[in-house]
Amino acid sequence: MITDRSLAAWEIVSVISSVLIAEWILSASAGRNKLIIAVPAALAFVLIIGSHFLRGESLRDLGIRLDNFLPALKLLSLPMIIIAGIALLIGFLSGARPDFFRWHAERLIIFQLALGFGWGFLQQYVLQSFMNRRAQIILGRGTASVLVTAVIFSILHFPNPWLMVVTFVGGVVWAFVYQRQPNLFALALSHGVMTWVLVSALPPSALNHLRIGLKYFA
Amino acid sequence: MNSKARARLVHLLISKSIVEALLIAGVAVAFFFATTNPYLRGVLDTADKTSVSGWAVDESRPSARVELQLFIDDRFVAAAIADKFRPDVHEAKRAEDDWHGFVFSAPQLPAGNHEARVYAVHSNASGARKTLQLIGKPYRFRIE
Repeated sequence: MITDRSLAAWEIVSVISSVLIAEWILSASAGRNKLIIAVPAALAFVLIIGSHFLRGESLRDLGIRLDNFLPALKLLSLPMIIIAGIALLIGFLSGARPDFFRWHAERLIIFQLALGFGWGFLQQYVLQSFMNRRAQIILGRGTASVLVTAVIFSILHFPNPWLMVVTFVGGVVWAFVYQRQPNLFALALSHGVMTWVLVSALPPSALNHLRIGLKYFA
Repeated sequence: MNSKARARLVHLLISKSIVEALLIAGVAVAFFFATTNPYLRGVLDTADKTSVSGWAVDESRPSARVELQLFIDDRFVAAAIADKFRPDVHEAKRAEDDWHGFVFSAPQLPAGNHEARVYAVHSNASGARKTLQLIGKPYRFRIE
């Protein structure tokens, strides 16, 4: 008989495998038409959404709610300020001038920030509403499940070393906050803003245009 | 979570794995055909201090001439087209005409053992990738 914990572990591994297939196999072999990458992404979302239904998780459980937006933002604000300060200091020490219009300079910054929020929401949904919640089924609420969530987030950004460090730190903060105040809107806002700050503050060569998987070497 | 929901989740996980396995298998097969031409035939007949020769045919396009590259001791030497007169290849029904031979002039080589390899240049359908495919077998020869 499969226990709830082993089933949760299987779910996590299955979604990780979908991301790795997209990052490492399909992005290399897809050629110019990248539509095939949508196949493992769609399969992962079918599993994630199906799992929510079968486990009886509500939108409120998942963090799609507004009542705790401000408390979540309050928890996020201090670590965000500290990380932004460290990023600006590293950028300053490495001789890079901060440029807050560098992030996809061909687009309006407000449009890019909106995209960053949307992409952040999607990532935080998978990371927190799925990975973090399944990690809690296996390990319970607390340090272990927070670290597992952060390690998964970091591994999915392999082999970009700076991005792996940044996503591990961000993963710890976001998973910790989610376990106390599950609110995906606050996390997505934090995700978008922190990406903007890091891209603007760190030397462009350090993050290698946020490339991950086989595209990192392109 | 009740046992019915658990069983459904297990089925979902297995189904997803099967679809992903089929997807990867499909990609692997497509990648093989994008980087390999299973219809290439040829032989590296001789190699010595003066020349390297043989023949090459693409059986999927028997009238086309195959583009080749010669490597000696794993170093690129020259590129050529297999368009030299080889009636024996035609007589053996391996080609539709007499013009599928190749002859490379060998570079200056030091005395000792050497190995010649001739590769066909294969482009994928979009031309985005070019790969090298060994023609026949490597030919080992000695220069006194």
